[in-house]
Order: sequence, then C-alpha cells, then structure tokens
Amino acid sequence: MKYVIIGAGAAGISAAAAIRSLSPDGEILVISEDTMVHSRCMLHKYLSHERDAAGIRFIPEDFFETNGIQWMAGKKVAHVWPKTSKIQMEDDTVISFDRLLIATGADSFIPPVGDFRTASNVFGLRHLSDAQKIDQMAEGAENILIVGSGLVGMDAAYALLERGKQVTVVEMADRILPLQLDETAGAPYKKLFEQAGCRFILGKSASQTVSDASGKITKVILSDGTEIPCDLVIVAAGVRAAVSCVQDSGIKAERFLEVNEYLETSVPGIYGAGDVAGLSGIWPNAMKQGQTAAYNMCGQPMKYLDRYAMKNTMNFYGLVTLSLGRGEAREGDLVLVREDEKSYKRAILRDGKLDSILLQGEMDYSGIYQYMIKNQVDLSGKEERIFDLTFADFYDIWPDGQYDWKVPI
Amino acid sequence: MKRIMIDAAKCDGCKSCTIACMQAHRETEGTVYDLDLTDVRNESRNHIELAEDGGYRPIFCRHCDAPECVMSCMSGALTKDPETGHVRYDREKCGSCFMCVMNCPYGVLKPDTATRSYVVKCDFCLAHGEEPSCVKACPKEAIYVEEVS
Repeated sequence: MKYVIIGAGAAGISAAAAIRSLSPDGEILVISEDTMVHSRCMLHKYLSHERDAAGIRFIPEDFFETNGIQWMAGKKVAHVWPKTSKIQMEDDTVISFDRLLIATGADSFIPPVGDFRTASNVFGLRHLSDAQKIDQMAEGAENILIVGSGLVGMDAAYALLERGKQVTVVEMADRILPLQLDETAGAPYKKLFEQAGCRFILGKSASQTVSDASGKITKVILSDGTEIPCDLVIVAAGVRAAVSCVQDSGIKAERFLEVNEYLETSVPGIYGAGDVAGLSGIWPNAMKQGQTAAYNMCGQPMKYLDRYAMKNTMNFYGLVTLSLGRGEAREGDLVLVREDEKSYKRAILRDGKLDSILLQGEMDYSGIYQYMIKNQVDLSGKEERIFDLTFADFYDIWPDGQYDWKVPI
Repeated sequence: MKRIMIDAAKCDGCKSCTIACMQAHRETEGTVYDLDLTDVRNESRNHIELAEDGGYRPIFCRHCDAPECVMSCMSGALTKDPETGHVRYDREKCGSCFMCVMNCPYGVLKPDTATRSYVVKCDFCLAHGEEPSCVKACPKEAIYVEEVS
C-alpha cells in the first residue's frame, strides 16, 4: 500500500507517524512546499532571533529516517487526478498513490488594499519561508507596519520589537486581540507592548498605499486619512485554505476541502486534515485530524469528533491567558467576574453549563474548563464556584489508573 | 508501562507527596529540612484537592495512553516515550504557549509561577532513580507504582 501525504505541518506529520505505527510495511511519501519541517506557532521565535530554523522543528531531526518515511521537500503539487489515483507536481512529475491525504494547510490572506498584493515589501506570516523573507528585509527596515492585531499580528509585533524595530499595529476593532480577549483582558497586553515600544492605531483600517518606483510601499493611508510611512508591511488578516491542487479535480471543495466525519473527501481513498479541511485552525485539532485520517486510511474506521475550536492560550511578556468560547453574553446568562492584582477571570454560564471562560494572569490546572464546555457538563449548583472548581469535583479513576470524568447524568 | 496508581480513599491529605516532589525538583542543593516551602520556584508537580465530601483527591499526571498534552504541543517538547510509556517534557524545546495546560482534561498542568516559561510536569523522578519521590514519601500507601498494560 502506498500512502501519499501532501503537507508537512501538524496534520501531515501526525498522519505520517500514525500510518507508520499502523502499517509497519506501508510505503509512505510526504510531499511539502516547506523545505524544513517547522512549527507555524513558533515563527515569532525565529523572527525574534531567539531560535534558528532547527530550533522551531517540532519533530526529531531524524524523524523521516527513523520511521522509514520518504520526504520530498520544496515541491508543490499542482494537481490531483482522482480517477487514475495520481498527483502531478508543478514540474510535471507524476506520482501514484493508493491512499492520499491532503494536508496542505492554508496561506495568508492578503486583502486587495492598494498595492498589498503586488508590492515587494508586503508579507503574511504563515510559513518559515515568510519569516525568512521578513527577517531579511527587517535587517534594513526602520518602520514596520503590521495590519491586524490577532495572534499572528501580535506574534510578529513581539518578534520585531525584540529586534529593536519601530513597530506600528493597525487594528480595525477598538481593541487588540479582539477575537480572543475582551476590553479588560486586552488592556494589560496593550500596555506591555507599548512599554516595549509598540504603537497601536485602533478602530482604523488600511485603505490605500503609496509605492515608489521599485514597487515598494512607502506609505499606507488609513481609513481616516492618516498616513503611516513604512518600509515593511506584515499583513495578519487571516488565512485561506490551500485548495488549489484539487481545483477541477472532481474532489469537492469550495472555501475548504469538504470531508465527512471520517475525514474522507468526496472521492473514496482521498482524505483531508488540518486547516485545509476547515474544521479548526488550531494545533491540537490538526494533530488529531492527522491521526484520525491515518486510521481511516489504514482501514480502521474512526470518526473525528473533537470539533471544539474556540480555544486559545497566549503568553506575551510572561502574562498568560486562556480563552475558551466566544465570550459574548446573552440575556439570561450568568456572568461571573473575579479580579485581583494578579489575575482577571470572567466566565459565562448558560442554562447551568459553561459557555465561555477567560483566565488571565493565572491559569493553573485550567484544563478542566475545555472539557466542561466541549462536553456541556451540567454545573447546576456549582455555578458560583466556577473559578474554584477542580478535577476533584469530577474525579474518577479507571482500574488501569487513568483518570476519567464523573458527571451527573 | 509503569504508572503511579492512586487509592484516593486511603489519602489523608498530609501532602507528604507534594513536599517530596518540591524537594526532588528544587534547583538548589539541600535537604527537605531547609527546603523553602514559600519559594515559588520550588513547585510541586502533583497536588491534592479537598473534595466537597471532605475526602482528598490526589491529582497526579497519569502519563495517559492517549495524552492530550502531547497532541497540543506545537514545539515537540512533550512526547510519549514509546518504550517507557511516560510523557516526557523537554524544557529547552518548550515554546511556553501553555496549550498543554488548556488541553489536559484533568487539570494536572500549570505554567511555572516564577517565570511563566515552562510547564510544571511530572517526570516520574527519572533523575532520581528507583521509585518516584512522591510514592516513597506516602505514609498511607495511597499512591504506589504498578505495571499496567
């Protein structure tokens, strides 16, 4: 059996490892545009020069050799041909497969603002190759503009501030990290970044650009007419699934690659996992999807069930935050807030169940909350104790010593 | 694999396991008698919670068969050792994102209090050989090591 995996991110790598454990003799080929396997969540550590490219690799250096997996690096798949079970590379090489996993991930979305899409000094921050280009240009750059203050934008800002650059962040919303944090939780991060030299412009968006003769943007003009001189622009405005290789292939895909609960596409034998499948944009889920796809590819049916994706953690300048759920209270919800000098906590409970929780400054032993939300655990009578609940309130142990949740039925 | 088994009914909440863990992982030299219990750098990997029914619930890393912390680790710092079955943590590799804290369904993990740069995680006292320090310290045999399949 020949297994081909397109993509060497979290989903692709976890699938390759799982296939090897399920099929000791199967032929496994991983094809990736990336020339080095790297963690996309660690690019800021590369850009800040805290680590080199090898330092953000999330697998052992000898992963492919040890597992007997072939790796074709720096190659792009141009087309998938389901009828003949073949893929065609950009250089027209053709490779056949018995089972195929499409784990191509996503690419930065660059909005069509002025010359954003054509200028030579505008980058997203998604791949190591992006970080390398930014790194190079940042050497001589003085004023760096970051568009968007989501996690990627703030990661980029952090890294470039560490390099001593002048950084300006423009955000459409009236606060930073608007999807993850409320006003109260965003404020201390804003202050920490400002102390590091960052300038924020909130409630405004980029609307026009001015470029020089060499095709570089020299100024970005905001929605209110403010002009921001810059020599490097990083756009952190979200991502789009990398579905180009399935276009006109007959494999169903629109914004995302369509997969069923077994992570199989509309064509039997061809699977999808990770960001390309649009089920979740977060590392733990991508890893699990890769593993689940692997089981199905190896003939062991397994449904993908862990769809909860409204979760995140962040850690800037030693201030940690856990954010689960949308954080939007509706009428009738119970909203609980606890604040002290070191932490800020806010929970939203709906019908006796946890809907959202935000813990900032202190998140010890907080893994229980994701379980509560994901499994809609009934917390009737315990609501007021939400910040004091521990696993002791749900404690059960299997005969083999592993824990389990005991919840009222 | 070897797992620290828990008989919660036997636990009388004395926290000898917690102090043994703090002592085993302190950065300075010394005996348990000069261990500074108020120094946040001396953190325990295990903890005991007092339950609503008045009983005690030891919360110890299970080195799970399908560890959620490993699944969530984007740096490769947390790995399941195929030979021993233990979940290993490499502090040098860790990206300090604390997704593992979010993902442990049993609330075992926490970021270190002093620097928020690494996760406080049971290492089965591999550096100390023999039995884990917590197990050696338990006067009630509420925790003990057993080979589980």
